[in-house]
Amino acid sequence: MKLDFDSFREIADALVRNKSRSLLTGFGVFWGIFMLLFMIGGGQGLKQMIGKNFEGFATNTSILVSSQTTKPWKGFKEGRYWNLTYTDVERLKMLMPDLETVTPCISTWGTKSEFGDNSYSGSFKGVYADYVNIEEPQMKYGRFINETDVLQERKVCVIGKRVYNNLFPDGGDPCGNFIKVGPAYYQVIGVDYSSGNVSVSGSADESIVAPLPVVQKILNRGSVVDLVCVTGRSGIRMTELEPRMRQIVARQHSFDPSDNQALFIINTEQMFSLIDNLFTGVNFLIWLVGLGTILAGVIGVSNIMMVTVKERTTEIGIRRAIGATPRDVLSQIIMESISLTLVAGSFGIVFAVQLLRLLETIVTANPDNAGASFQIGFWTAVVAALLLTLLGVIAGLAPASRAMAIKPVDAMRDE
Amino acid sequence: MLIELKDVNKTYNNGQPLHVLKGINLSIDSGEFVSIMGASGSGKSTLLNILGILDNYDTGEYHIDGRLIKNLTEKQAADYRNRMIGFIFQSFNLIGFKTAVENVELPLFYQGVNRHKRHELAMQYLDKLGLTDWAHHYPNEMSGGQKQRVAIARALITGPKILLADEPTGALDSKTSEEVMQLLSALNRDEGVTIIVVTHESGVANCTNKIVHIKDGIIGEIQDNRTHSASAFGTATIMK
Repeated sequence: MKLDFDSFREIADALVRNKSRSLLTGFGVFWGIFMLLFMIGGGQGLKQMIGKNFEGFATNTSILVSSQTTKPWKGFKEGRYWNLTYTDVERLKMLMPDLETVTPCISTWGTKSEFGDNSYSGSFKGVYADYVNIEEPQMKYGRFINETDVLQERKVCVIGKRVYNNLFPDGGDPCGNFIKVGPAYYQVIGVDYSSGNVSVSGSADESIVAPLPVVQKILNRGSVVDLVCVTGRSGIRMTELEPRMRQIVARQHSFDPSDNQALFIINTEQMFSLIDNLFTGVNFLIWLVGLGTILAGVIGVSNIMMVTVKERTTEIGIRRAIGATPRDVLSQIIMESISLTLVAGSFGIVFAVQLLRLLETIVTANPDNAGASFQIGFWTAVVAALLLTLLGVIAGLAPASRAMAIKPVDAMRDE
Repeated sequence: MLIELKDVNKTYNNGQPLHVLKGINLSIDSGEFVSIMGASGSGKSTLLNILGILDNYDTGEYHIDGRLIKNLTEKQAADYRNRMIGFIFQSFNLIGFKTAVENVELPLFYQGVNRHKRHELAMQYLDKLGLTDWAHHYPNEMSGGQKQRVAIARALITGPKILLADEPTGALDSKTSEEVMQLLSALNRDEGVTIIVVTHESGVANCTNKIVHIKDGIIGEIQDNRTHSASAFGTATIMK
């Protein structure tokens, strides 16, 4: 292959000679690569946006909630109400060593909190100190509830972001201040800024969290708990522990262990895998549609190169007569094909990157989506460019082989 | 002998087999100015294609400068065409989207000569043919005579052993025809270029020093024409 400046000029000339044709053909490739990259970026951004909802939530968590029984058992009729208790927490801890954390939670909705003239209505939760293993707090100020708070039943609380913004509109560190929650006063010991949307009984940003024994007494709940949250040790699949948990709880409360309605077990692992599956599907579609569109574009290139070769039979014949080898002709056609694909594709890459940047700016303007990244990676772009080159070669193969078949005598015949 | 053809046969097999060349024997020495004359269908174009290594022959032998030209690979054939043979065509066969100088450069491009050098050489040849002012014009901006001179420059640039001209005046008026023939004669006389002209015009053939008559695929009379008196239509001009 002889390559010098003139070869490139010749390629440029050949593409420019049929401007509208090159433009229209190139558009197919341009649109294909644009679609692929834009959808990859968009899909990734969307996934991150959804992923943010799960932020700070342990992935191997299950939440146990009691409900009405739906099957008769041991002489009890169906439709009976029962409640989870502290005994269940102790039994689960004792009988299931695979569980790392078993922690109960009680809560109430629409509790009014006041500080000075400001008030806010949110949920009021009572938890133990090990609740941090379930929902990881992001402390802006102060600390979370600790063991001592629980043991000494201190009247302290951690407030969520929205509660903080409403009660303390001037900002600053609120720790040490007393706020009124329901009938009693609690000292603020921390502000939790975690913003995930998966949360137990009310999103973290509108909750006031206090030591469980305190809330238990204030709300007069006795031994009943609303939820039991459990996490497995690392490497343990929560789904596998589920039947055993059902058995332990069912035995204590005399309901059918196979009664899945009586005891709801919400498994985050399942939720995560659901979303993962969803995105696997979305990605598959992205690649299918993206690659399909590129392929259509490339076939267009191949087609038009075929026409070009046909048109240039005489020219190619002349070149052959004055000493071009079949390889010279082959490389010329392949280079033209690569150039067309690569130039059009590069515009597609640039356009996709610019549009993704715009999209990212618009979407992340909403603070809920801050930090979501829509942009494709540098190496994705490099791989896309390499892919284009490869496709250019493939598109050029058929026309080039036709061009190689042109005999020099054809130059004289085709007059 | 520069060119030696021994019992060359060629048959086209397009449906009905067509025996075009029926045992051609021909020798042409270096520095000769030969025309091959014949009516259309006589096989003269086929002979030219074989001489120019543009086409294969079936049996016989063809030597250029002692080298047997037979069963060449495409690459070899291209290389021989490039280095040993210069072509001049009836319809000029310049590449339309290249300027005169770019057209002349092209054979050197395929030899891998560097850009600067081939441009310089191309300009030299254009200058020799009086086309310096037209170097950067496209073929469609030039007259037929100018185009043919560009084609001659392109044929000469590689310093070929043989210049093959296929009806070089076929698309030109009589005045330019004469100019082109005089140019070829001068090239032969002054620089000793071996030139073979294929034509069916006796006036054109008369400009050459030797006329090979071909008829129905067989070489007939080989006429010595150093006196240039073979034209049936008088010796003064090329008749159209």
